Amino acid sequence: MNALLHGAVYGAVIVTVLLTMVALAIWGERKLAGRMQSRLGPTLVGPVGLLQPIADVLKLLQKEDIVPLGADRWLFGAAPVLAVLFSLGAAAVVPFSPTSIAADLDVGVLYVLAIGGLTVIPTFVAGWASNNKFALLGGMRAIAQSVSYGVPLVLATMVPVILAGTMSVSGIVGWQAAHHWLVVWPFFLGLPAFFVFFLALLAESNRIPFDIPEAESELVAGVTTEYSGAKFTLFYLGEYLHTLVGSAVAAALFFGGWDGPFAPGLHWMVAKTLVLFVSVYWVRWSLLRFRSDQLMELCWKRLTPLGVGLLLAAAAWVELGPGGAR
Amino acid sequence: MSHLYDALRAMRTTLVTAFRKPTTVEFPAVIRPRGERYRVSFALPDDEHGELACIGCIACERICPSQVIKMRSTGKIESPVTGKKRQYVDEFVLDLSACIGCELCIQVCNSDAIRMTREPEEPSYSREGLVLDLVRLRANARDKTLSWGRGTELLERQEPPKAEKGGGRGGRPAAGRPDDSNKEAPAKAAVAPPAPAPAAAPAAVAEVK
Repeated sequence: MNALLHGAVYGAVIVTVLLTMVALAIWGERKLAGRMQSRLGPTLVGPVGLLQPIADVLKLLQKEDIVPLGADRWLFGAAPVLAVLFSLGAAAVVPFSPTSIAADLDVGVLYVLAIGGLTVIPTFVAGWASNNKFALLGGMRAIAQSVSYGVPLVLATMVPVILAGTMSVSGIVGWQAAHHWLVVWPFFLGLPAFFVFFLALLAESNRIPFDIPEAESELVAGVTTEYSGAKFTLFYLGEYLHTLVGSAVAAALFFGGWDGPFAPGLHWMVAKTLVLFVSVYWVRWSLLRFRSDQLMELCWKRLTPLGVGLLLAAAAWVELGPGGAR
Repeated sequence: MSHLYDALRAMRTTLVTAFRKPTTVEFPAVIRPRGERYRVSFALPDDEHGELACIGCIACERICPSQVIKMRSTGKIESPVTGKKRQYVDEFVLDLSACIGCELCIQVCNSDAIRMTREPEEPSYSREGLVLDLVRLRANARDKTLSWGRGTELLERQEPPKAEKGGGRGGRPAAGRPDDSNKEAPAKAAVAPPAPAPAAAPAAVAEVK
């Protein structure tokens, strides 16, 4: 009962904070994208455009909620809700400080990977239920992409697990606090593993350069073609949440989570998460979209062998080398 | 590997740009300096006696390619200011929404009565808001800066340079630009050999100008 109460309270706080962060992140992204293209970004709503996300949400909620003819009404309505739920769910095991964690599972890494992998299901459901050929194509692409990139994602995640000798996310952070951040030492394992993880995360959350499920130039808006109003807002929110939670997980697994000098753990965790989050958008506004075949080639010919190599090297480092949990 | 290099180069470009000063200026608050000959809207200025200069001769209405000018005028009446008889325009409508800005109306106006302004009109939510009537056109003449072009001045520029005293046949109709007459002048000299000195004069004058 005590654990349940703890989970509920911390969960509520973390969800609220995450949603607020998403609102600010949308503003931040638009500002950043503007400056990267020598523009100003939003300036008119509120001071330096800070109230722009609120205006955006108000605008989106006013829009007509359209369900296309021949759509599967139940699935069509369920998909955006599931997208947000799965994106938020992964945040449950992310330690924001040594104490603020909603549920400190022993198999936290497994849980994150499982919930993160589930996010493709609402995407495909949306594509299927829309009764629209573009949406269905987008859904199919999302499945292909997510299934493929799940492999390097898991392989890269196994590197910190093996090195720290635990599957608990807070355990991995604690190990890094006691030894080194994984990108610092052993950097020849941590850095490439982070690189693979980061690319796989971009692909899993359908961000540029891997946004082929919604490729505007080919598929109108991919799976979200038929969505409008509140449902579209939920999809939008889910997308940002997925990236944000993914950044938090990457910060915990590779950058020592809440570990850092001078400031409380929470500050470090948030700072690291935001740096990773911003770099996701930095990539987004710098690169072009991959073709489907290039996407598959990168996954199966480059990242997966690299991941397998890293996994073996990590195992060897722990068993034969100087590093490891012992 | 080269793809990775390209990706990193693209990311460096965006990073560098992000720390530069943005090119955008916030328009209604900041207006970039406009070109010397920039001109957009129209105005009906007064003449030197303080009356509306337009006499309603419909020259501009007839030449307008997109037919956006419509006017109505009464016959000649005695001017209350000068006492001379002249015509006044009662209604003058210029539809900016279809205007192509060719400035032909300014060029044909013999009384310098229609001019272009250097400041644009306010944006409008309706098509009606883009229609300039007599009131707005007169207000423009009062409140906005007028551009350099006037009908009579433009007409003068179109005339070929006059030959000096006794200079050949002269009196050619005022067609063609000064450039044209410049080119024609030597040919003319070749056709009329008996009077070389005066015939050469126009060309010399044109070059000096």
